[in-house]
Amino acid sequence: MLTVSSLTRAELGERLARPGLRLQTGSFVTCIGSAIPAVADGIALLYAEYPLQDAGGFADFHVSLQGSGGLRRWVRPQVRFDYDGTRPFEPLPVAQAFALFEWSMNYCVSTRVHGYLLLHAAVVERDGVAAILPAPPGSGKSTLCAALVTRGWRLLSDELTMVRLDTGEIQPLPRPVSLKNASIELMRAFAPQAVFSRPVNATAKGTVAHMKAPTGSVRRAQERARPAWIVFPRYVAGAAPHLAPMAPARAFMQVAENAFNYSLLAAAGFKALTRLVDASTCYQFTYSMLDDAIDVFDRLTPP
Amino acid sequence: MASEIDPAACQAPRRVWGVMAGQLLRSKTWDGAEHLLYNDLSGDTHLLGADALDLLRLLQAADRDEASLAAALTAAADDGDGDGDTLAPAAVATILADLARLSLVERRAC
Repeated sequence: MLTVSSLTRAELGERLARPGLRLQTGSFVTCIGSAIPAVADGIALLYAEYPLQDAGGFADFHVSLQGSGGLRRWVRPQVRFDYDGTRPFEPLPVAQAFALFEWSMNYCVSTRVHGYLLLHAAVVERDGVAAILPAPPGSGKSTLCAALVTRGWRLLSDELTMVRLDTGEIQPLPRPVSLKNASIELMRAFAPQAVFSRPVNATAKGTVAHMKAPTGSVRRAQERARPAWIVFPRYVAGAAPHLAPMAPARAFMQVAENAFNYSLLAAAGFKALTRLVDASTCYQFTYSMLDDAIDVFDRLTPP
Repeated sequence: MASEIDPAACQAPRRVWGVMAGQLLRSKTWDGAEHLLYNDLSGDTHLLGADALDLLRLLQAADRDEASLAAALTAAADDGDGDGDTLAPAAVATILADLARLSLVERRAC
C-alpha cells in the first residue's frame, strides 16, 4: 500500500492541490485539498508512514484548506477550512494552516462519527490493554500521553478515544500529538529523538506544535485494545506522583462530561459507558515529573 | 411502561406518586450506595443515593402515596436491631420532589 512517504514533496503538493490527497488515519479516509505549502510540509513531516488511498476511492470526510481570496491574498493572508461545503471555523492567519488542518481532522471525527462513544481523552496501550486519560485542557493530558508513547506505550489517540459500541474495545486513531506552550520544549528535552512540527505562535490555544506519532503506533492502527484503566491526570507543579482510587460512579459522570456524543447516543451511550467503567479501574492522578508519572503507569496492573 | 396502581394505596380522594411513562429506570451501581440512573425522557444521567433508587423501584412496581412509601422503605431498611432505621414521610416527600423535578416521577389522581 502506498504511504505518504512514497510521494516526493512535489508530488504530494500536486496531489493535495488536485484532486486531493486521500489520507488514511485509523479507520477513516479523509480527502484533503490544499494548495498551501505549510499543509503539505506538515503532512510530509508528520504523516510519512500513513497509508494513501486511490484518488477515486471512498472518503469518509472531504476537507479543504485554502487561502482566502481578494485582498487577503496579499494583506495578512488567511487560511479557511471548508468541510462538505460548510465553513465551521473563522479564517485564521495562514501561518496557522497546519494547526488548523489538525484541528479540522479532529472536528471531522468529533462531530460526525457517532457509531462509537467518543471521549475527549488520550488513550495509550500496553500488552493489549488501554489506559484512558480523560481531562479538560490544561490538565497535562497530551503531555503525559506524549511522554508515555516515547517510553514504550502505544499511541491510540491523544485527543479522541473511540469506544466501540458492539464490543467495548478501543478503536485506535493514532495521529500527531498536540502540544501547547511550555509542553513543547518540555517534550523536546524529554524525547529529543521524536519529530516535532515547527511551533506556531499566537493561536487561540497559544503556541502550538505537534509531535509525530511513533511509527509502531501508526502501523498497528487497526489493532484494537481492551480498556483497563481510566486515569484522570492533573499536573501540579512540585507534586509527588499520587494515584488515588476513584469511585466508579463518580468516574462515570466525569467521563460523560468529557464525551463528545454521550447525550446524542442516549441509552446506547449509557450502556457503552457502563461497560467501559465496568472493565476499568479508575483513578485520579496527580503528578509533576514525567519520569515519575511513567513509572506509575508502568506499574499499573490490569483489573 | 405505566405501572399498576396498588388498590390498597388508592382510597379516594388521596393522590399517589408514580413513575413517569417512558422511564425504564436503567440503573447501575458498583457499591450499592451511589446509583447511576439513565433518564429516558431527558437523556440525562443522574447520580442518586440508595433511598432514591429504592423509592423508584417501589414506584415502578406500583403507584403509592408518601406514607406507604415511607413505610415500605422503613421496612426494607429495618435490619431488626431496633436502632430506628426509619425514613420519615417528610424525607420521602423531599426525595419525591427532587425526582419530580427530574421528570422521573409524577403525582397522579388515584
